[in-house]
Amino acid sequence: MKKKKLKLPKCAPYSKAHERYLRKRRNDKIFVLSFQIIILIAFIGLWELLAQTKVIDPFFVSSPSRIFNTLSSLIANGTIWKHIGITLLETICGFAIATIGGTLIAVLLWWSEKLRRIFEPYLVVLNSLPKIALGPIIILWVGSGMSAIIVMCVLICIVMTTITMLNAFVSCDPDKIQLMKSMRANKFQIFWKLILPSAMDEFISVLKINVGLAWVGTIMGEYLSSSAGLGYLIVYGSQVFKIDLVMTSTVVLCVLAALMYIGVSLLEKWHKR
Amino acid sequence: MDKLLDFQNVNFFYQTKNEEVHALQNLNFSVDELEFASIVGPSGCGKTTILSLIAGLLPVSSGKIYLAGEEVKKNSPHIGYMFQRDHLFEWRTIWKNITLGLELQKLQDKEQKLEFARELLKKYDLYDFQNRKPRELSGGMRQRVALIRTLVLEPKLLLLDEPFSALDFQTRLNVCDDVYQIIKSEKKTAILVTHDISEALSMSDKLVILSSRPATVKHIEILKLDGETPLQKREDKTFGALFDFVWKKLTNEKEKT
Repeated sequence: MKKKKLKLPKCAPYSKAHERYLRKRRNDKIFVLSFQIIILIAFIGLWELLAQTKVIDPFFVSSPSRIFNTLSSLIANGTIWKHIGITLLETICGFAIATIGGTLIAVLLWWSEKLRRIFEPYLVVLNSLPKIALGPIIILWVGSGMSAIIVMCVLICIVMTTITMLNAFVSCDPDKIQLMKSMRANKFQIFWKLILPSAMDEFISVLKINVGLAWVGTIMGEYLSSSAGLGYLIVYGSQVFKIDLVMTSTVVLCVLAALMYIGVSLLEKWHKR
Repeated sequence: MDKLLDFQNVNFFYQTKNEEVHALQNLNFSVDELEFASIVGPSGCGKTTILSLIAGLLPVSSGKIYLAGEEVKKNSPHIGYMFQRDHLFEWRTIWKNITLGLELQKLQDKEQKLEFARELLKKYDLYDFQNRKPRELSGGMRQRVALIRTLVLEPKLLLLDEPFSALDFQTRLNVCDDVYQIIKSEKKTAILVTHDISEALSMSDKLVILSSRPATVKHIEILKLDGETPLQKREDKTFGALFDFVWKKLTNEKEKT
């Protein structure tokens, strides 16, 4: 069989050693990726095998084939799209409001040092508070349903966003601020042209963390009060002992969270270009 | 030659939780147009504070500073500031870094200044790098970009706050030569703050030696070393004696503290 020629980048002059090095890098990458896939297939295969041979009880732990069948029927009758749509909408709304709102609060606190000093202890306390404890109060204040779920999602993400972005803003090199001042920049110009761009790496990190937290907030909110959504399916499934439904919803959640994370990673790649 | 900068009995105090610190005491010195002056002194004596006062970034506690005949009261458009590190903004291209000052100010002759920026880039061999990011440039090139960013605003006085201290020794000597020649060919007045006596002697026409805190002017030396560049000036036969003289002055101050 003809050996496939290694595709090399355009820029450098090569030696045999360099070519060997590049080939080793590529092989290492393939090795890691192969093992990742093998582990996943082995896990699914073993799970299915143990369930089929009744070593584990599929009534309690389900099995890949049962999950596949449940998902197929949910797709066939169209109900899955409604639940995905609602959960996705709640998550994206909570994610966007918390990210934008938290960043705006951080800007305000950066702008006024006095305000920052006043609110710093409150932020620390709010950050350590388990937000699920506020669930009943949120339902009382904004009613049950989608609004309560979005508020829960926002509460979980916003404090962390504010703290991280504020830290990024205040840790900007003071000499760079001095440089801007020596060029007669006003405070808005200092923020817009220096503070904000230099905090972009932290902003991307916040997006990545918020992707995870937003899903936690939404599912927690749906556990507390909902009549639709993937969280609702999980709660409903566990109440009526439909573990297949619980597992199917969890798998769909995994896929959606991964897709959202990939979206943020693409944004990061674009930013670092 | 006309005086460009004049310090008249300048005092500066700053407050801390425990005390009021007298940082600068009755400073009197001047810098003429096109002169290259250096300020040396013990660590922490207030050299950088002097630059901040000249730039109008800090207010004097008493006394007066005159720049081009006008009293310095707020940050002046006649000042260009270069720091210890180049502080290029990594997310901006070289061109965007160089024209940062022009973006910040509402200028009527902006087009002319942009053209001047292009000329400077060509003159100092950076034109081909204008669309690159700072991380793609060497340490020396980055310092040249930082200097051009300052020159684009056509300041009357350049303030150099240990601009070579972050570079390795060999690069430092070369960049020192580069910067000196750019400043001379652009006909600029400059004040350099440094810990490096050799650097101060090889670049300057005037050397101001400060005492320890509260800093006073201990000695002013007018330098006339032979040579066109700092590297050549280091070859002058009086260079060693001058170095010893400044070294002793600074050592005495250090012993006092």
